[in-house]
Amino acid sequence: MGRTLPSITQTFLQEQQSLARFRRALRLDDQRALDDLLAASRHHLAEAAYASHLLPFEIMLLAMLVEEHKQVLRLREELETLRWDARSLSTSSPRPASGGQTGRGQEHSKP
Amino acid sequence: MTELSGRPLAIASPSNKPTLYGWLFDAYPSGTGMAVWLIDADGQAHMFHDDFTPVFYVRGPRQDLHDLCQMLRARREPVELDRTERIDLFLDHPVEVLRVGVRSPGLLPRLFRQVADFNPYLTYYDADIPLPQRYVLTRQVFPLAHCAVEHEAGQIRHIQALDTPWEIDYRLPPLRVMAMRLGGELRNPARGHRGDLLVQVEGEEYPFKREHSREMVLGIRHLLERHDPDVLVTAYGDSYLLPRLLELARHYGISLPLNRDPDQAIAHKPARSYFSYGRIVFSDEQHLLFGRWHVDRQNAFLGDDYGLDGALEIARLSGLPVQTVARVSTGTGISAMQVSTAWRRGVLVPWQKRQPESLKTGLDLLAADKGGLVYAPLMGLHEHVAELDFTAMYPSIMVHFNLSPETVGAKCCEGVPVPELGTPVCNHRQGLVPETLAPLLEKRNQYKARIRELPEDDPRKEIFRRRYSAHKWLLVTCFGYLGYKNARFGRIEAHEAVTAYGREVLLRAKELVEARGFRVLHLYVDGLWIDKPGASQRPNYEALLDEIRAQTGLQIGLEGVYRWLAFLPSRVEARVPVANRYFGTFEDGSTKVRGIEARRHDTPNFVRETQLGMLAILAEGQGVAGFRAAVPAAIEYAARQLHRLRSGQVPVRELLVTHRLSRQPDEYIARTVAARVALELTQAGVSLSPGEKLRFLLVPGPEKARAWELIQGEIPYDRQAYLQLFIRAIESLLAPVGVDQSTLETWLLGQTSYWGPVGVLPPPGTDGRWPMLANARPVGAEHSLLATSAFREIQRECFALTRQAA
Repeated sequence: MGRTLPSITQTFLQEQQSLARFRRALRLDDQRALDDLLAASRHHLAEAAYASHLLPFEIMLLAMLVEEHKQVLRLREELETLRWDARSLSTSSPRPASGGQTGRGQEHSKP
Repeated sequence: MTELSGRPLAIASPSNKPTLYGWLFDAYPSGTGMAVWLIDADGQAHMFHDDFTPVFYVRGPRQDLHDLCQMLRARREPVELDRTERIDLFLDHPVEVLRVGVRSPGLLPRLFRQVADFNPYLTYYDADIPLPQRYVLTRQVFPLAHCAVEHEAGQIRHIQALDTPWEIDYRLPPLRVMAMRLGGELRNPARGHRGDLLVQVEGEEYPFKREHSREMVLGIRHLLERHDPDVLVTAYGDSYLLPRLLELARHYGISLPLNRDPDQAIAHKPARSYFSYGRIVFSDEQHLLFGRWHVDRQNAFLGDDYGLDGALEIARLSGLPVQTVARVSTGTGISAMQVSTAWRRGVLVPWQKRQPESLKTGLDLLAADKGGLVYAPLMGLHEHVAELDFTAMYPSIMVHFNLSPETVGAKCCEGVPVPELGTPVCNHRQGLVPETLAPLLEKRNQYKARIRELPEDDPRKEIFRRRYSAHKWLLVTCFGYLGYKNARFGRIEAHEAVTAYGREVLLRAKELVEARGFRVLHLYVDGLWIDKPGASQRPNYEALLDEIRAQTGLQIGLEGVYRWLAFLPSRVEARVPVANRYFGTFEDGSTKVRGIEARRHDTPNFVRETQLGMLAILAEGQGVAGFRAAVPAAIEYAARQLHRLRSGQVPVRELLVTHRLSRQPDEYIARTVAARVALELTQAGVSLSPGEKLRFLLVPGPEKARAWELIQGEIPYDRQAYLQLFIRAIESLLAPVGVDQSTLETWLLGQTSYWGPVGVLPPPGTDGRWPMLANARPVGAEHSLLATSAFREIQRECFALTRQAA
């Protein structure tokens, strides 16, 4: 309301619009991935507005990276948990596994 | 006596003239002064006359001022002219001005228009302050002030206020109220609804048959003369009842004393439509009385929120007449309060704003042209979430950091730079806006404390709540007015400075919260939603709040700790959360709802009732698990409501949809439902303006909708259309646990692809986007998480590890 510059949401939509041809040319699976990335960057519009960056698309890319990296960290953690569960399964089995533990696993086993 | 801005009225000596004690009830121009009404402690009304010469000022080249004087003298206008010095707020030093005193106050508006037309290039001050406000400012009184009046032969010799607008528990005059409305359901009579006239006064109700209109007029005249009410409270009095009664009185040649002052004609202001905050608003015509108030509940701004108690409080604070306050937005109130501050300071009040936006570079604009921080919340259902809110954040920022149009960017001192922007803010003199707001914030805090202290059955509690609510609205609008292009004391740089401080304060709070180990779920301009394992009680937050108060200098409070709270996704893009679509239940069982159907004005009552009913059932759940466990009971309730809807048992008035006309009825191109209803009303002879509200029922068949005012009795409604609204409202509530439209249709409409008992949710932890993941067949699930390469990777690794372990 009463603003001179377009809002960050309008800017985002413009950037998204500018990718329309690129998106169209992508395969269906890739289109879905691109949509996921764009949706991820929308989670950080407030932060992008606060940044007042001259090239908002750079911030959008960073926001995508932030969300992607969060996903990687989450998956890594989940993987560690699964590894840990699997390992505890093996240790609690009547026939103890011989030398199957990795260095990281030993870290986990510390109190 | 002549108006002297900013100076107390000098009284020669105490005299032995008769003194009346009473409350200032009304003041309006009359002859060479003002007619002033007071109501004494016995409820008796008294009218006096007070000589009064309002003044406006003109600044410009000497020759132009000279020409202006010549013109006024040549036309023999009743004016006093002389040169004097006054202070301009933005120049901060006295300037030479021409003082024009108007000996008949009622002539001022016309005379000023002549002057402004004669030379529009001069600078005018104090020109459009409403006369009643000028009067109370000059006499240092205020509407509903308890006054002592020395009088002689109906003429006021001296008037003095015995209380101040800042009293908390003030006495008001005993007012006699006469209420007037049409019988039957409350529908707009201007759109064809007719009924008998019901008049209530001093505990008695008098019905007047509509077909006996002469008896009606005579009866009302009798009641007015017998009871002499102070206030006439009507429903649709402005647009229908008063004009119709006056028309009938004229027709029968009967005098109808709606005004208490027989020498005045009833003031009529035509209806208008205007733009406000991106939407068109309709303000109906007005009929204002003299010596008596007319309050139309259907034409009152926010009347339901703060009621007459709140309107009286705004009148006392702003100096505007009660009949005006009851009809205008609170923005007018805060603007009038700023005018009062300027007046008391002896500062000139500009007629038209002369503060254009200063020149900025693109980078400056990029940094400054922003609003408050509105984050995307972490979507889904959360438990034990605390909501922290800064108390009246923007007004507090203006007061605490001295932000005012004349202090931001001032060159009088080095000042304090605004964060992000660097604009200096003067710190050696208090700004006009902070000076206006500081006592208001203080009064609001006092009411807050009193409301908390008073027992529930104390009648003052509700009155204080309403006054508190009126303060809230005054404070809400003060920020908008700081940046509003037509506001007298608006300036975009001050507006930008407020939002810059707002962002700074919120981020500072975020940092403090995170440093104490809390997770930030959401940030919204002046509020934070946070959680931390183990922090589920109020005391867990006291230290944090104290720290934020100490670090930011602003008041922050704990709105409450939620048992559970849901942040909802966008309806357009389910992967993206929406900042202001959420609902939750606090520890005390109360719920807070934003952005969902129950809060929307266009939602039919039945849908709202269903949504809130389900919410009440879900509110019983103590946490996320409790919410999930309550879903079957909520669905059962929804099914009962759905049965009523589908079997046609819901009354018509519970199904009305409200829509605001955005244009003239004949300007609609698409035949939308609203356009059809507008057309139906127009064909029935009703004239509609943009901004007016339409209420209609969705009906089966080609006409699609019918205007409520034209419906007689119960008629069939469009069950399918209402079913869609119904399902949509339920979906909003259950989306956080992964229930989507198709699941709801399965549960409630018994359609195919039934996958489990009604209301039973998939196991916790299932991705909300794929609620049936747990039961999903692998075939056809190629787009789900099961099919993603990351998931397959994990699966492979898990199997490998399990094999290894085995």
